[in-house]
Amino acid sequence: MVLNIALLTGLVLFSALAVLARDLIKSAISLAVSSLLLGIVFFRMNAPFAGVFEISVVAGLITVLFILTIALTKSEGEVGESKAALWAFPIFFVVFIVIDALVMKGLMNKVPALPGAAESGAFGDVLWKQRTFDLIGQLAVILAGVFAVLALFRKRDNDNE
Amino acid sequence: MIFLYVGLPLIVAAILPLVGRLSKKFLPDILGNGVFLFLFAYAVTGGRSLIGAGPLTRTLNWFGEPLGIQLALDGFSLFMLATVALISLCVGLFSIDYMEHYGAKANYYSLLLMMVAGMNGLLLVTDLFQIYLFLEVAAVASYALVAFGREHEELEAAFKYLMLSAVASAAILLAVAVLFGMTGGVSFAVVSAGLRALDAKAAVGLVTALFLFGFGLKAALIPFHAWLPDAHPSAPAPISAILSGLLIKVSGVYAMTRVFFGVFGLTPALSQVLMWMGAVSIVVAALLALGQKDMKRMLAYSSISQVGYVVLGIGIGTPLGIAGGLFHLLNHAVAKSLLFLNSGSVQQATGTRNLDEMGGLAKRMPVTATTNLVGSLSIAGIPPLGGFWSKLLIIMALLQSRQGLLAVVAVLASVLTLWYYLIIQRRAFFGKLNERWAGIKEAPFWMAAATIVLAVLCLAFGVLFSSVISTWIQPAADVLAKGMGM
Repeated sequence: MVLNIALLTGLVLFSALAVLARDLIKSAISLAVSSLLLGIVFFRMNAPFAGVFEISVVAGLITVLFILTIALTKSEGEVGESKAALWAFPIFFVVFIVIDALVMKGLMNKVPALPGAAESGAFGDVLWKQRTFDLIGQLAVILAGVFAVLALFRKRDNDNE
Repeated sequence: MIFLYVGLPLIVAAILPLVGRLSKKFLPDILGNGVFLFLFAYAVTGGRSLIGAGPLTRTLNWFGEPLGIQLALDGFSLFMLATVALISLCVGLFSIDYMEHYGAKANYYSLLLMMVAGMNGLLLVTDLFQIYLFLEVAAVASYALVAFGREHEELEAAFKYLMLSAVASAAILLAVAVLFGMTGGVSFAVVSAGLRALDAKAAVGLVTALFLFGFGLKAALIPFHAWLPDAHPSAPAPISAILSGLLIKVSGVYAMTRVFFGVFGLTPALSQVLMWMGAVSIVVAALLALGQKDMKRMLAYSSISQVGYVVLGIGIGTPLGIAGGLFHLLNHAVAKSLLFLNSGSVQQATGTRNLDEMGGLAKRMPVTATTNLVGSLSIAGIPPLGGFWSKLLIIMALLQSRQGLLAVVAVLASVLTLWYYLIIQRRAFFGKLNERWAGIKEAPFWMAAATIVLAVLCLAFGVLFSSVISTWIQPAADVLAKGMGM
């Protein structure tokens, strides 16, 4: 219980830092740490596949891509952190914890659930045989992202061809 | 074969950037429009025979092995598929000439096809998670298309759109997650049966609120409309047409209707919420449209107002109201696409969207002016155009269900609609020709052709309204009414 609370607190802390930090490197690293903590939470909640994807893709691959991209852009001197973060963040955090403590337990008790169904197969079976259309959808999201990059970062001289 | 609606645009979108290296102009135009033409012909000719014996569910096979791809086609999804294909085709034809000066046509068609694949996927899926997934496919493509011109205004509008749309997607995903936690499944049938087995009023209320917020933001209903008046005018005209004509309806209205009618069932309270959200959107957006000087921004506010009519009609929940709402969805898709394409023709000829700088353009652009007049009168609800009949059905349904106040609101807002469309006519097309525009010419062939097709459809849907309703609208409305156990 204590470990769960510590993990979730860290998750909220680093997620907020990822939004508030102005230095992009600090922001990317905060995001990676929060996603690492989320991955651990997934493992502890008996969802190992979600944990593996969260840690390998979100905490690992995406962070590497972010940092590579930031390294390729030109830096214009030191980035000063916003002073607003110093007072805004603690307020945000306290308000979040208070709302969480007051609302979530009561809310969760009001959400009834049917008994969980038995596991319907191995991970590979679920992914490839039962949720195949999800894979196509995800492929389409990635393709759309690739086309977006191709279109928005096209060379100027292509414009008038 | 239903999979073609998603698979074909996806495959062609994937090969277009490679094909674009061989031919920068003709092949992208031919391939893009070829796909739209095929999808339209398939929806109109083959689709109805597919669902002749009732709703169809297909599971795909791969060399005899069943794949986890299940798609469903019924009257409602077929009606929407045909609408998507029709508007995409007209937008594609318009783009042949209009997108010349933007360049990178292969990239443009790739994104457009991805957006259509996303919308078609959303129309055919059978579970809640896939609704979210295909919503994102269409959305990611649309962010890039809004920013396609890469000017400051476009990039800013796309960023604002992305941020608010991400919030909407998060709310939808959270709602799906809660439902999954409660019922142990995400398919419409499992969730619907699970909710019936559970007594979960508070949780269903929470999930309904999340869906209302998420889909309401996607449909740009007031008070979730802030992104639309920036995003839609900033995009290239064909994209404005498809966003206003299709995307807000598919990812907002269709998805919301499918979930509320097919999974939750429309309760009297939810019906009231939908009707009032629709009515407030109609009035507030119409008043906001009146004060606009930017032609496309005025059209964007008009979209919010007209989607309000669609939601008001569907929200009544009676067969007549649903039919009226769906017919207005079709009429608005056609007329608003036409008006946005017209605004693109005007902007390309004059370089401005400011109504104060225009004047007398009908003398130099007669086709654009005439088609614009037809589209405006249809949206304003003037007989015998399509918009008149759909608004009449909605108002009759309101009176039938004893919603006199909302009926009065719908009638009065229609007068407001006519008012702001007459402002466009008077300031842009009629009156004395502004000397600055003495040398401008009518829109090129494909741009003019696309607007003529849409204007003819505005007229045809009005004159042939009875057969349009019996062929397309009634089967769609029956699906929704049946979902409510009527």
